[in-house]
Amino acid sequence: MSGPVRPYVITGGRSRPGRPALAIESLVSAVPAAALDPDLLPGDTLNREHQRILTLCRDLLSVAEIAAYLGLPVSVVRVLVDDLWDLGAVQVRPPAPQADLLPTTLLEEVLVGLRQLR
Amino acid sequence: MASASSADTAGPPAGPSYLPATVQGAVKILVTGPFGVGKTTLVGALSEIAPLRTEEVMTSAGAEVDDLTGRPDKTTTTVAMDFGRITLNPQLALYLFGTPGQQRFWPLWDDLSRGALGAIALVDTRRLDESFDVLGQLEEQRIPFAVAVNVFPDTPEHPEDDLRAALDLLPEVPILRCDARDRQAAYDVLIDFVDHLLSTAALELQR
Repeated sequence: MSGPVRPYVITGGRSRPGRPALAIESLVSAVPAAALDPDLLPGDTLNREHQRILTLCRDLLSVAEIAAYLGLPVSVVRVLVDDLWDLGAVQVRPPAPQADLLPTTLLEEVLVGLRQLR
Repeated sequence: MASASSADTAGPPAGPSYLPATVQGAVKILVTGPFGVGKTTLVGALSEIAPLRTEEVMTSAGAEVDDLTGRPDKTTTTVAMDFGRITLNPQLALYLFGTPGQQRFWPLWDDLSRGALGAIALVDTRRLDESFDVLGQLEEQRIPFAVAVNVFPDTPEHPEDDLRAALDLLPEVPILRCDARDRQAAYDVLIDFVDHLLSTAALELQR
């Protein structure tokens, strides 16, 4: 269950983030100054769920983990993280298929990691 | 104790298990298959954290979702997804998403499969027919995949050729076997699958 507030209330009626890049495996961490400096995010910019994300993401977690720990649907967390991203309150590390990384290089890295952990 | 028991390899979660700050990005692999085939078990055997659960609200317009009562034009349903994580090295993490294979959840697949390295389709050979839909969907979506037979105590031995014919699999789709509860066996499946993806990618680069 996702709490007493229906998802569309939390996200202000939006159901999709404006930015397509945020994936379920995107990694999020709060910008420390955003948590410390209330003037950076004045007044009613942030709702309770935004605040919960900032508190949770004092270190690095994926969008999926944020959703799991806060008991919110992934689609809702995406929208909220996107807001925080727009405000400069979080850093988002893009999922690894980065343009300069050949798929084979990436797959090799995954394979080496798995073999070491086995 | 009223609280949910945790895996015997880990203590009860005191709080979130964070990734090292050095991690720069993450990749994902889907673990899919019919209900009850062992997706969460496999994810749990591989994951460094106790599997976590997300719930996604799915809205479907039209006739595809027919098992929900209520509004005629629009229906919502909640899909639970268990997932796990492996920190592969100080820079890279791998997420494993247990993805329901039933047709009514396919609207979620576009989004989930975007950027995925591929999918492991868990199969229970005692009820092969339940896997037909999900294998068709993997082919349709052009998601690179391997079939992993989850070997239950009473799973009959099937020659690979028979299984390949029964599932109508192309020759290039690997058929692997594992006990999804066993960490080593689960790792072997994952390693064999990524190895397969790598050889396929290398071949395509040569063309």
